Amino acid sequence: MKCITDCKIIEILNLSDEQLIELSRKNVLSLSLEEMKTVQNYFKKLKRNPTDVEIETLAQTWSEHCKHKTLTGIIEYTEEKNSKKTRRIYNNLLKETIFKAAVELNKKWCLSVFKDNAGVIEFDSENGIAFKVETHNHPSALEPYGGSATGIGGVIRDILGVGLGAKPLANTDVFCFGDPDTEYSKVPEGMHHPKRIAKGVVSGVRDYGNRMGIPTVNGTVCFDDGYMANPLVYCGTMGIIPKDKIEKKVNSGDLILVVGGRAGRDGIHGATFSSVQLDQESDVSAVQIGNPIIEKKVLDTLIKARDLNLYRSVTDCGAGGLSSAVGELGKKTGAVVYLDRVPLKYDGLCPWEIWISEAQERMVFAVPPENKEKIVEIFERENVEAVFIGEFTADGKLTLIYEGDVVTNIDMEFLHNGVPKPTRPALCKIKEEKIQKPVEMSSSEISEALKASLSDLNVCSKEWIVRQYDHEVQGQTVIKPFQGNNVEVSGPGDAAIIFPYTVVRGTKKGIVLSNGINPQYGKINTYKMAASAIEEALRNAVAVGADIEKMSLLDNFCWGNPDEPEILGSLVRAANACYDMSKSFDVPFISGKDSLHNEYSIGGKKYSIPPALLISAMGVIENAANTFTMPLKNDGDKVFVLGTTRNELGGSVLAKIKNIKYGIVPDVHPQESKDIMKRIYRAASENLIEACHDCSEGGLVVAISEMAFAAGKGVKIDIDAVKTGKIKSQETELTAAEILFSESNGRFVVEVKPGNEARFGEILEDAVFAEIGCVNSDKGIVFESEKNKIKIQEAPEVLLNYWRSTINW
Amino acid sequence: MFEIEIRTKKGFKNSHGEHVLSDISGIGIKGITEVEYFPLYVIDGGITSAEVGTIALELLSDKITETYICRYKEQSVGKSLKTESSAGIDVSETAACADSAILPHSAFFVIEVWYKKGVTDTVSESVIKAVKDLGIEKEIKVKTGHKYYLYGKVSQAVLNDIATKLLANTLVQEYVAQ
Repeated sequence: MKCITDCKIIEILNLSDEQLIELSRKNVLSLSLEEMKTVQNYFKKLKRNPTDVEIETLAQTWSEHCKHKTLTGIIEYTEEKNSKKTRRIYNNLLKETIFKAAVELNKKWCLSVFKDNAGVIEFDSENGIAFKVETHNHPSALEPYGGSATGIGGVIRDILGVGLGAKPLANTDVFCFGDPDTEYSKVPEGMHHPKRIAKGVVSGVRDYGNRMGIPTVNGTVCFDDGYMANPLVYCGTMGIIPKDKIEKKVNSGDLILVVGGRAGRDGIHGATFSSVQLDQESDVSAVQIGNPIIEKKVLDTLIKARDLNLYRSVTDCGAGGLSSAVGELGKKTGAVVYLDRVPLKYDGLCPWEIWISEAQERMVFAVPPENKEKIVEIFERENVEAVFIGEFTADGKLTLIYEGDVVTNIDMEFLHNGVPKPTRPALCKIKEEKIQKPVEMSSSEISEALKASLSDLNVCSKEWIVRQYDHEVQGQTVIKPFQGNNVEVSGPGDAAIIFPYTVVRGTKKGIVLSNGINPQYGKINTYKMAASAIEEALRNAVAVGADIEKMSLLDNFCWGNPDEPEILGSLVRAANACYDMSKSFDVPFISGKDSLHNEYSIGGKKYSIPPALLISAMGVIENAANTFTMPLKNDGDKVFVLGTTRNELGGSVLAKIKNIKYGIVPDVHPQESKDIMKRIYRAASENLIEACHDCSEGGLVVAISEMAFAAGKGVKIDIDAVKTGKIKSQETELTAAEILFSESNGRFVVEVKPGNEARFGEILEDAVFAEIGCVNSDKGIVFESEKNKIKIQEAPEVLLNYWRSTINW
Repeated sequence: MFEIEIRTKKGFKNSHGEHVLSDISGIGIKGITEVEYFPLYVIDGGITSAEVGTIALELLSDKITETYICRYKEQSVGKSLKTESSAGIDVSETAACADSAILPHSAFFVIEVWYKKGVTDTVSESVIKAVKDLGIEKEIKVKTGHKYYLYGKVSQAVLNDIATKLLANTLVQEYVAQ
């Protein structure tokens, strides 16, 4: 291969181990020594040194971001419990847990699982629905606005790039930030203040989502000091796709068409960068800037071209740019690309920069030669740039040509399957959780704790954030983020429902979207955190009327440095929880993503984030009219609690407020809670439910207060009537405070009309449930326990005010 | 090269400025009593001042709530950051002002924020396209920026704090505060 000016030959054949490491570090390749040696050996066989384009292509393709080396690599896992050790080897953690459950459950309505840019399930006989959630943590830490905007832009393109392209119907967003009230002097040097990050991230998502004309319908915001230097930004998109457009393929001879934005220096090394710990000198060019107007035009034209069957395959240009997109499409055939044909924002880009640029808003198509003119015409009509840059071959090689010179010529097989599997040790020491000392609180202390819980950052209204998003555009959102009497009086909805009547004419069906996440539990027990997140996501969906038998899940792991055995060990535990819960709830995972290395070092000290697993759920509801919201509806209606309340205050809001030591983290009892979920659905189809709310952060007292103040109504609750259960046999009975604030999973608060009470009881039959009070606006919100001599009485508008005033930036 | 500053007319809220003011007090800085925010556009190329007027009026400003100031500068867009004192808003002879009544009152600081060279500026891309759509068929370069007028009394160090902590992300933007 001859050397030309713009393309360098990288001396690698004769480098020592130290020099290889140095080369990887210096060029931000993020390749380990073993990987560098594998590259070295490959080029030794070819008897030549690689070009910089080849090295960069390998680094991108083998990056943690694209290959998920940790979760698909070998893990030697050791679990220590009561000083007994058990060992297990995972050859591919993902395949042996989350994916395995999906395979074993083998649902016929799962149309595309873990193989495309998003998971797809059946909507009706003609259509499928696709869902994907991505993270954009590192870019958002550096440039909150651009980072989050390109995060949402990227996941929308995932939906455009699933099968032959799905039409996006809704976005979801979940964030984890540091405490916004942190003193400025305590923010690490070189980092933005958590409030600035939060505001920037919110406006990025707002501007991109709103300009794309896609409603943002569901999300959560968690606050914890652990995310100060490393925020988590999860962006999700759901879309609809005709069933006959789900399969894609590439034939030799198909032309490679790149559509949308131009390549620039933005986002160079995004994929490899995501595996690097953040430090003060993070690379400037890793920042990406989004342009929603271009993406909107790409969306519209892509759907038009799809419906005319003008292409055989499509994928998005995400991390790794063209390198990843073309590499992915041409995996089985081979490809030749002329880099000088790629449209550029400005001159002066080297060939390797053109190839890996992460400039946004680009899609890559495989176009049969006979459609060449027709497809370009569609894009040009809307002023969308579309340029043919090469073709798919039959030689199984990736060939890149720049101004007549071959700058890359490597085997697709080596590029995609040559990465050595790393072996990492993982360790988990399981500590027994202890029940705290009985929490005895007087009536006034409980009142204070209720107000503190409602205004706690993790419970309080996120209205200031959510109302910046358009959740109505497209006119199909039937259950929205806030519910209540009017804008001034509202409460937090559990899940969103989209009724896609403009896309699927005559349909009655709805699509439910919900999520579950709780990093507080993960600080103590990641197994229970994962199980709780899954149960919470499902519970949220059921609380608006979803059918548990038509639900699917997405996993998004955000973890610290997997080179630390204990951090990786806690990840293995969470992945196992995913398998167990998926199997016992009979709900498959359809897609997922992980972001590891969420670690930040400053002054030699390392900050690893508290592990976070976001579970997003999507399901099909047979009749979008049979759904319900959380505010109480009519005076005189009965209030029920479904599910068992246990002494589970570990990681709870009350534990934080009252600084309670110990406490059991809420566990999941799948059989019990699945049974209740099924019965709620049955009651819903008979229209027996007036209001329903899930019970999570803050416990029963918060859930019931939210239902009351969202309606501006009062409610009278008998604490003694709540059904409790024991975790350990020698346990004492729960105190009133423990009943009110325990965060046990699997519980719902349901409002039923007096006339429907008998039928509702028949449906619930032998499930754990109790009538605990009634809607009564005379005396405000009242919680009473005769046994414990407790009475709390608050006006709904007072509690509403506590809930609403925390975040008002 | 022309620099266009889009101003809020008297009697209309400068809501972004108010947000910035609340952010400033939110980070514990006292001494600033009012903030006004105005977007900036620099347009370079063989363009006449009449054409710039059309662009400012028809494209960049809202005729009801906004007006504009347009300055002619010798420098080219290529020089990424203006170093000359533009804080003295003593509108020079070459500046055309649509409404002199809205000139800011005295005792203020100015912070200007611009993208660093090489950072994608999507708004400028849209402006270039929209100028063509207005029927002005000329090859132009556009740069966008932000200008904040801060009223009150603070030290230069505090001013720099406001710029770096709230207004400019120095990773992709640069600023002048004086």
